[in-house]
Amino acid sequence: MKITPGGVVAAEWTKFSSLRSTWITTGISVVLLIAFGVIASASFTGDNLSAVDLALSGSTLAALAVGVLGALLGAGEYTTGMIRATLAAVPRRLPVLWSKSLVAGAAALVTMTAGAFAAFALGSAVLNDGVGSVGLGDSGVLRALLGAGLYLGLVAVLGVALGMLVRSSAGAIAILAGALLIVPGLAALLPDSVSEAITPYLPSNAGSAVMALTQGENTLAPWTGLAVFAGYVVVCLAATAYRLKKTDA
Amino acid sequence: MIQVREVTKRYGAKTVVDHLSFTAQPGQVTGFLGPNGAGKSTTMRMIVGLDAPTSGDVLVNGKPYASSKAPLHEIGALLEAKAMHPGRTAVSHLLTLARTHGISRSRVDEVLGLVGLSAVAHKRVGAFSLGMGQRLGIAAALLGDPAVVMLDEPVNGLDPDGVLWVRNLLTGLAAEGRTVMLSSHLMSEVSLIADHLVIIGRGRLLADTTVADFVTAEGVRVVTAAPDDLRALIAGPGVTVTSTGAEELFVAGTTARAIGLAAATRGIPLFELTPQNASLEEAFMDLTHNAVEYEATR
Repeated sequence: MKITPGGVVAAEWTKFSSLRSTWITTGISVVLLIAFGVIASASFTGDNLSAVDLALSGSTLAALAVGVLGALLGAGEYTTGMIRATLAAVPRRLPVLWSKSLVAGAAALVTMTAGAFAAFALGSAVLNDGVGSVGLGDSGVLRALLGAGLYLGLVAVLGVALGMLVRSSAGAIAILAGALLIVPGLAALLPDSVSEAITPYLPSNAGSAVMALTQGENTLAPWTGLAVFAGYVVVCLAATAYRLKKTDA
Repeated sequence: MIQVREVTKRYGAKTVVDHLSFTAQPGQVTGFLGPNGAGKSTTMRMIVGLDAPTSGDVLVNGKPYASSKAPLHEIGALLEAKAMHPGRTAVSHLLTLARTHGISRSRVDEVLGLVGLSAVAHKRVGAFSLGMGQRLGIAAALLGDPAVVMLDEPVNGLDPDGVLWVRNLLTGLAAEGRTVMLSSHLMSEVSLIADHLVIIGRGRLLADTTVADFVTAEGVRVVTAAPDDLRALIAGPGVTVTSTGAEELFVAGTTARAIGLAAATRGIPLFELTPQNASLEEAFMDLTHNAVEYEATR
C-alpha cells in the first residue's frame, strides 16, 4: 500500500464520476454545444459565417458550462470540507491539483470533441441553403473541431484552478464568467487603438481563434490563440499551486 | 507514535498553540483535553500537516507526515464529522480516499462493516445523521490500517450505544499496539478510555499525566469524638490536618486505613471515615479554570 501518481488520478476520477452534479453539468455542456450549433446552422441566412462557425456557435455557452463544472469540482473540496480528508491522504498536496485538472480536462476534452463533431454532423444535415456546406476534409475543418475540444478541455482546467484558488464556487464562477464573457465586452468600450491591440489576447478571444475557420483581421492565428489561452491556464494553475502548497487548508 | 515538539501556531497576533510538547505512545490511549478554543483541533491539524506550525515540528512514527510514502498507513485521522461531499455515497467517499493508496474495494466494505454502516453503504452522506457521519469518519480513519489513530471529538453526536462502541474500538486498537489519540472537552468521557492525559489551555500544556495520577485522593474526612487526641496521634511529616467542624477533621497526606488503625490502637471512637477524591471533572475544571477561552459572565 502506497501513494502513487496513478492512484491519485484514480481517486480524482472517482470523485468526478461519483457525483451526480458532474454528469448533469457535463451533459448540459454537450447539449448546449450541439443544440446551439444545430439551431444556428438551420436558421442562419447571412453570408459571413461558415458551416463550421455555425456548428460551433454553442461553444461560448459550452465553455461557461464546462468552466462551471471545473469550478464546482475544485471549490467543492473547500465548501464541503472534503479538502481536509483529501490532503490528509495526500499530504504533498500538489498531486491533487494536477490530477483533478487532468481528470476534468480530459473528461471535457473527450465529451466536447465528440460534441463538436456531433454538432458539425447534425448542423451540416440541417444547414440553411444559403450557407455553403463544407466537409471534414476541407481546409481547417478538422482543426476547428478538434480545437473546440482542446479549448473547452482547457476551460475545464481553468475552472478547477480558479475553484481551488478562490475556494468558493460562487467566486470562481463569477471570475470565470467575467473573464470569458464580460471582459471582451468591456474591452470594446476602450479607445479603438487600445481595444484593437488587446482584444485578440483576451482569454475567450484567444481560445476561440482555434475554432474559427477563417481568421479575421483582429484575431490571432489558430494555434497561437490556443497557446495564449493555455498560457492563461498555466498562470492560474501556478497561482493555485502556490496557494495550495503554502497556506493552511 | 506522535511527537509534538515545541510547536507554536500563530494566526496574526493571536497565538493559538504556544510551545506545546507532548508524545502519544503506541499501545496507549492518549486523551487530549482542553476547554473549547484551547487549540486541540489546531494541534491535530498540524499533526497531519493541514496547518503548518509557526515554529517547532511534529513527527508521526518518527518522521514528518508529508514525507511518508503511505500516509494513510501511518495515521488515520477523523478531524471533523461530515468533512465529506454530501452528494457522494458512503462507499464512494471512502473509495476516493482508498484509491490514492491503492487500497482495495474489499477493505472499503470491511471498514464500513466495522463501523456498522454496511446497510447504508450506498446512501448519500448528505442524508446521514451526525452520528452516522462520525462513524463514516472513523471508517475513513481506519481505512489504511494505520499505526496511529487520531480522532477529534469522536463521540460527538453518538448515542450511548455508539459511545460505548467507540470506547471499545479505541481500547481494542490500543491493545493491538497502535497509538490512539482522541480529543475532547469532556473529562468524564476521556477518563473511561484514556491511559494518558494531555491537558492544554490557551494553547499551553497544563498537564501531561496519567488518569490515575491526575485523580489521587485529596484527603480523608474524619468525624470523631476526640478530634484533638486524633490530631496529635496522626500528625507527622507530610500529613496535614485541618479542623472543619466541632468533631470534624480533614486529613491529607495519609490514608483512611492508616487513620482508622491509629485510632483503634488508642480506642478513639470514629463516627465517619471517608476518603474524598476530587472528581476528575472537578480536577479538570480547577486546572483549566484560568485557561478558559470563552467564559460565560456570571
